[in-house]
Amino acid sequence: MSAAARIEDQAAHWLLRREAPGWTAEDDRALDRWLDEATAHRVAYLRLSAGWARVDRLAALRGPDVVVATLPPARPRSIWRPGAIAAALVLTLLAGGAVGGGWLIQGRNVHATEVGGHTIVPLADGSRIELNTDSRVRAVIDEEKRLVWLEKGEAFFDVAHDGRPFVVRAGDRRIVVLGTKFSVRRDGRKVLVSVLEGRVRVEPLGQAPGAPPVLVTGGDRVIAEARSTLVATRSADRVAADLAWRRGLLIFDQTSLRDAAVEFNRYNRRKIVITDPKVAEIRIGGSFDAENLDAFARLLNDGFDLTVEAEGDVFRISE
Amino acid sequence: MGDRERLDAWFLGEVLPLEPALMRFLRRNWRNDSDVADLRQELYVRLYDAARTALPLQTRPFVFTAARNLLISHARRARVVSIEVVADLEALDVMADSVTPERNVEARDELRRLQAGLDRLPPRCREVVMLRRIAGLSQKEAAAQMGVSEDTVEKQMVYGMRALIDFMLGGSGRLRRSGVADKTKRGRV
Repeated sequence: MSAAARIEDQAAHWLLRREAPGWTAEDDRALDRWLDEATAHRVAYLRLSAGWARVDRLAALRGPDVVVATLPPARPRSIWRPGAIAAALVLTLLAGGAVGGGWLIQGRNVHATEVGGHTIVPLADGSRIELNTDSRVRAVIDEEKRLVWLEKGEAFFDVAHDGRPFVVRAGDRRIVVLGTKFSVRRDGRKVLVSVLEGRVRVEPLGQAPGAPPVLVTGGDRVIAEARSTLVATRSADRVAADLAWRRGLLIFDQTSLRDAAVEFNRYNRRKIVITDPKVAEIRIGGSFDAENLDAFARLLNDGFDLTVEAEGDVFRISE
Repeated sequence: MGDRERLDAWFLGEVLPLEPALMRFLRRNWRNDSDVADLRQELYVRLYDAARTALPLQTRPFVFTAARNLLISHARRARVVSIEVVADLEALDVMADSVTPERNVEARDELRRLQAGLDRLPPRCREVVMLRRIAGLSQKEAAAQMGVSEDTVEKQMVYGMRALIDFMLGGSGRLRRSGVADKTKRGRV
């Protein structure tokens, strides 16, 4: 094997380990170290992770008929081993599901939105996931468990009561649902959980020391990053603001223009750019239509006497 | 956005989409097909390192010019390559490759390509990929179902992942390697 092929092999191993259970913050650091060791490591990893995400998305699009047609038949010689009977059953189930229609589609699925997108995804168990802009979730629902990965962005969960646990994985946190309505947002390594009703438990994934699980009830929000977990109780107003995107709104209260720009830029292809640090520190409040950049720009111009220059896909804001 | 994020975003968003065209370019202009994957990786390292100082204004000509320069330096190093090859490469007009727009691939075409990529995998490797990714089994469950070790499942997954991505991005989907995909001994769990 050439050096390049060996590196690609290592990158693939990292990628697989990373999505397997038991991935810890320590592993995360080890991966970062490996990536920083050589550009060859980084480009191989970037290429594979992008390609793999694409394979995954496509796999989710495939109809169940295609899937079953390609699954190899169970080997007759293995039928007499106990484990293999279960295997044969799984295969039968897959085949039966395909005839019944949609079993695999319900069993495992990927849903995504583009920038500015907003969609509601009904799950097979009666739960609903509401996806915010530029977001992606993957869901696995079977007899024993309901598991959702928030791969990026933000989602609101309205979970149907059911004997099976409902678990959301976001970055290095796991949110165990105890019957509830709540949202989860990923922002780099930061995970924000806002609970509207009911209760959830937020746990670190893997064995990240120093981050004990926390219980969060309606009106509370949790901001978790690496080993720290901040719980803000009785912040119903903030929770309401966190969830305003469901109505297409952004709600700011004493929010710096810098942070407001970041929020607007999540929803729009046209981006707000603020270069002047003094301008970026201006505090604003109010509720805004997330996709109406022109209205926001006009307000900045009228209310704060700021200059707004539209230039292609960029709104440049200055004194 | 930090510098690292900006570089990564540039690489993912502007360089990688060119890979199908880039692979065609490399294969057309380099006689030894089995070098092409290594050349691609070496080129990616060069591009990423060069972009650290400043992102190119136009990625496409930047990528193809760097590809040609890489081929020239390899041709010079290889003693058996004739002087004409180097001269041909130097005369090579990368403009044609630099301006061709990307064909808009529809999801249906991509699905067909994925199916073709899966069909090209060695049978056991394909089974592992199907069980893990499509049926959603864990590594352990897939190993139990197939009656092989977890280690084998992982090796097959790694091979399958690399070959599928290679094929999806315009490669042959057949990787040169020490034969893991076909020769791994069957382990019992």
